Amino acid sequence: MVTKRHQQANILGMAGQWHCIIPTMPDSESAITPVSIDPQRLRLTNDDASTGTLIGFKCNECEASVFGPAIFCQQCTSTDLKAVDLGNKGILFSFTIVRIPPAGWPGEIPYVLGQVELPSGPQVLAEVINCEHKDLKIGMGVELVLKSVPAENGGPDKAVYKWRPV
Amino acid sequence: MTMNKIKSGREVMVVGVGLHPFGRFPDKDLGQLAIEAVLPALEDAAVKWKDIAVAYFGHVYYQGMSVGETSLSKLGLTGVPIVNVENACSSGSTAFWQAYWGITTGLYDMALAFGAEKVPRGPVTVTAEDAPERYIGGDHMMAGYALRGKRYMEETGAPATALAQVTVKARQNAAMNPFAHRKDTYTIEEVLNSRMIADPLTLFQCCPTSEGSAAAVLCAREDLAKYGINESRAVSVAAAVLTSGDYNGRGADHSAFSPYRTEPAAIQAYEMSGISPEDVDLVQVHDAATIGELQQVEALHLLPFGEAWKGTMEGRTALTGDIPVNTDGGLLAMGHPFGASGIRMIHETVTQLRGEAGPRQVANARIGVAQCSGAGDVTTVHILKRG
Ligand SMILES: [Zn+2]
Repeated sequence: MVTKRHQQANILGMAGQWHCIIPTMPDSESAITPVSIDPQRLRLTNDDASTGTLIGFKCNECEASVFGPAIFCQQCTSTDLKAVDLGNKGILFSFTIVRIPPAGWPGEIPYVLGQVELPSGPQVLAEVINCEHKDLKIGMGVELVLKSVPAENGGPDKAVYKWRPV
Repeated sequence: MTMNKIKSGREVMVVGVGLHPFGRFPDKDLGQLAIEAVLPALEDAAVKWKDIAVAYFGHVYYQGMSVGETSLSKLGLTGVPIVNVENACSSGSTAFWQAYWGITTGLYDMALAFGAEKVPRGPVTVTAEDAPERYIGGDHMMAGYALRGKRYMEETGAPATALAQVTVKARQNAAMNPFAHRKDTYTIEEVLNSRMIADPLTLFQCCPTSEGSAAAVLCAREDLAKYGINESRAVSVAAAVLTSGDYNGRGADHSAFSPYRTEPAAIQAYEMSGISPEDVDLVQVHDAATIGELQQVEALHLLPFGEAWKGTMEGRTALTGDIPVNTDGGLLAMGHPFGASGIRMIHETVTQLRGEAGPRQVANARIGVAQCSGAGDVTTVHILKRG
């Protein structure tokens, strides 16, 4: 079986470098280490991309935290920021069960989209997995879990952050 | 954010409005749609195309370069500045805002603001292919509204029927509006039983994507006589405010879906006009989904926070209520051609304030508010006043 990713690798002339690509053995795909879905928002914390932490910045003047990249504080506009780990836990602020997905959605349908508030304040959208829909509740604790997803345009898989109930 | 006290200059009037029906028009390109709103607006104002000193054109989807120029060139080349404006769902209202400021500052006597769109069918996404949001599942306008809806219901105790009532009311208003994309009326049960998109939002609680166009002609009050414009049908622009995002540490993921920028924009608009929320007779708000209407009405201080759902159930936001909302059917029933919607709201407000809304007429309407939102937390608030 030749996957879209293998075709892409061949187009780029990279198949030879990726000794792990054996088109007849799809199981071997996991041998390529996934890359962070967004290195400015998710830092992988082990070699097989199975754990990670959300990252951002904290303002040294007003203490506000920002999820993801920032050049200046979004609250007070100070440039005195320090890079911080925002951790891997949060509280479900809101959620919805999406039955008609957006273009390019690579997962199952329906899926649960969760809006999660981090202890430091910022909110992070991601899929909530490993849960029964009827058990979902605003205010419940959730933790980050990483899942490897094939890249839309070829290349290594993406390590995507998701939430699951604690 | 420091809020600027807005200083306006010359009084600006809307002197003409035009609208092309919203719906699907495969035989008309964007430029043709645009012209078919501009011509009625010029006719309504009883001014000539050569009197227009500047034009601003709102649209979002790419339909070739300089569509504003190419469409208006069909009316004759006059050499005036023509600006193409893209500000997401607020593109049209941003074009109107620019027209206002072009005149109030004294740069121009008369301006045209127009908008047109042919939105592709299917769910609307904001990000490009392979963007992180695509894998996260968050690039979904209606899912964003659904998150707000779920949270609102939890915080306020609003039942699903209250959200559905927003659609019921929108369809009732649209049934009296020949320009609306969707004119069928529904019961609360029918709204709730339509296909689930992202709970609590069913299909009939999400606005259709549409094609259409709208236009407005604006002129300085002191220049009306110079152009022979009938002052009795002119409507004054009492406030014109445009804002963008200010996410206060909430994180970019969330900010795109939040209505929180409306309140500061509204406060600026009330200050600028000297009008208070109690003075407002009717309002058009950005109701891309039912929950949007409830939250915008609250953010505009027209109903208390957490209580717009009650006001809706009690009929206060209906045509016969004390604060009629989305009197032409709103995005939910008019449909949503992005570049046109903001000016469609101006069209409806002007029509109501002139007393020309026919069966939809709100009694004694003197002051109207038009609020439009867009991705990037763009928010516009305009206040219009009769006489
Ligand atoms: Zn700060």
